[in-house]
Amino acid sequence: MKQYRMRPGRLAAKAILALAGFLAAFPLVWTALNALKNNVDIITRVPKVIFTPTLANISYILGRDSVLTGLYNSAVACGAAVLIGIVLGLPAAYAVARYPNRFAGDIQFFVLSLRFLPPVAVAIPLMVIWLQLGLYDTLPALIVTYSLLTISVIMWLAIPAFQGVPKEIEEAAFVDGYGAYSVFWRIALPVAARSLIGAIAFSFVLVWNEFLIALMLSSSNAKTLPIVASELSQQGMNVPWGILNASVVLLSLPPLLFLGVLSGFLNSVFRQKKS
Amino acid sequence: MRRRSSLPVTFLVPTLAILLVLSMVPTLYAIVIALQNRELSAPGYSWIWFSNFADLFTDRRFLNAVWVSVKWEIVTVIATMVVAIGLGVLMFEVAGPRLRNFYCLLFIIPVLLPRVSAAFVWKFAYHPLYGIATYPYRLITGGLIFDPLSKPGTALFAVASVDVWQWGLFFAVIVLKLLETLPPQPIEAARLDHARRWQIHAHVTLPMLKAPLISLMFVKMIESLRSFDLIYVMTRGGPGVATETLDMYAFSQGFIESGKVSYASAMAVLMMIATVITFTMLWKRVQA
Repeated sequence: MKQYRMRPGRLAAKAILALAGFLAAFPLVWTALNALKNNVDIITRVPKVIFTPTLANISYILGRDSVLTGLYNSAVACGAAVLIGIVLGLPAAYAVARYPNRFAGDIQFFVLSLRFLPPVAVAIPLMVIWLQLGLYDTLPALIVTYSLLTISVIMWLAIPAFQGVPKEIEEAAFVDGYGAYSVFWRIALPVAARSLIGAIAFSFVLVWNEFLIALMLSSSNAKTLPIVASELSQQGMNVPWGILNASVVLLSLPPLLFLGVLSGFLNSVFRQKKS
Repeated sequence: MRRRSSLPVTFLVPTLAILLVLSMVPTLYAIVIALQNRELSAPGYSWIWFSNFADLFTDRRFLNAVWVSVKWEIVTVIATMVVAIGLGVLMFEVAGPRLRNFYCLLFIIPVLLPRVSAAFVWKFAYHPLYGIATYPYRLITGGLIFDPLSKPGTALFAVASVDVWQWGLFFAVIVLKLLETLPPQPIEAARLDHARRWQIHAHVTLPMLKAPLISLMFVKMIESLRSFDLIYVMTRGGPGVATETLDMYAFSQGFIESGKVSYASAMAVLMMIATVITFTMLWKRVQA
């Protein structure tokens, strides 16, 4: 690469990038700061950068039953749905990737088309169905509904991951006398593991962040954390802003834990394309 | 070589059967409900066939919701692509490998946030008196009030800005990765011909990436349909009906205001038909 002189255009480009980077991270940092402020320090016309921090908001949030129940519901519903997605989605993806048949294209399109369905169109009938079955506002209903999401997403992302496994390795295993199933277990799964973990993390983030379906399928017992957080804000104009900010931070932490995994996943997807 | 094996059947059939049941049951049931007159408050119902649909087309609030949804799609998809391509190209041009990695991490953060969180973060930021995003305006004008979320003219754009904040920055990372996969020779050749930087991108690199960029736009169009969380938290469809998209209106008809589940379902069915037809056609085009 040739080294270019600093020209005004280049400088402006760097400035724009820096600004975008600032815009990406700063709102979240500011929210985290507000979570540590007393209400008087938040409701100021000039934003306060220097303040006496307090843990009152965070301890209030963590002490509320509704928040803890929401956390529990979110963890169980998302965990179970992702598990079902792994058990059903990965083998199916492997079959599509490695045993091509004339339906492969249609299957892939069907799985993708599940994403076209407007969430309302799924949530309204499901609410009526779960009401009739007596399962409305329960975790099993939410888990089954989320499984549709996790299975299809994991399958969609795992197909290219399995295709990325070098065929020669699998062929060699066949020659060594491995059966089709043990090739899947002992060769394909471990070799593709890194990309598969990315796909699984992605499906978890997707259902953890899900709002509309959870809102329609729960009224009190099965509320997930996003619903609980959104309700905190509806206490009139005298919103306890510090508390709200703290709940936003709590809600956002689990997906952010996967930042490293997911950015590695992105890199591996594009490295595959290059080769 | 691979022998004949039972694997594809045992691996595929159960999963596809479950997916089919999980997706077809609600879809078909949505149509059934739409042809009835169910309400949440009353247990009984009767078949009224297509009168829900007939009512919809004379419902001005519904027609408004269609228009708002279309506006939302256009604004968010175009703004996302512009931001993504702009920032992607800038990163490719002026950032070294280390800086690129740093920006990529930063730009992925917003899209990972739950939409509810993102909506809250910006709802505070846009607060006319105490918000951090409206602070520069207060500072410059000496304390004038700017309240983007409660003006009909700006509310949709204010909410859309959050969507672009999440998706535009994320797609910028993908555009950069796509640019990095390109072979360097055509770029070098153009450079030898004294093409300017922006010319190289406009005439060489972006045309080479046409197919993946169109796929990316397709993904964004699908994801833009999921505007509900942002709008629900930030404006509840207001002020008035200025940001009331179809899913927001269906939700408020079905749950908040009147509990008219069948009417809401009729709306959802129309949405479903429109999106499935549009996206199936677009997808076949993209694939071809």
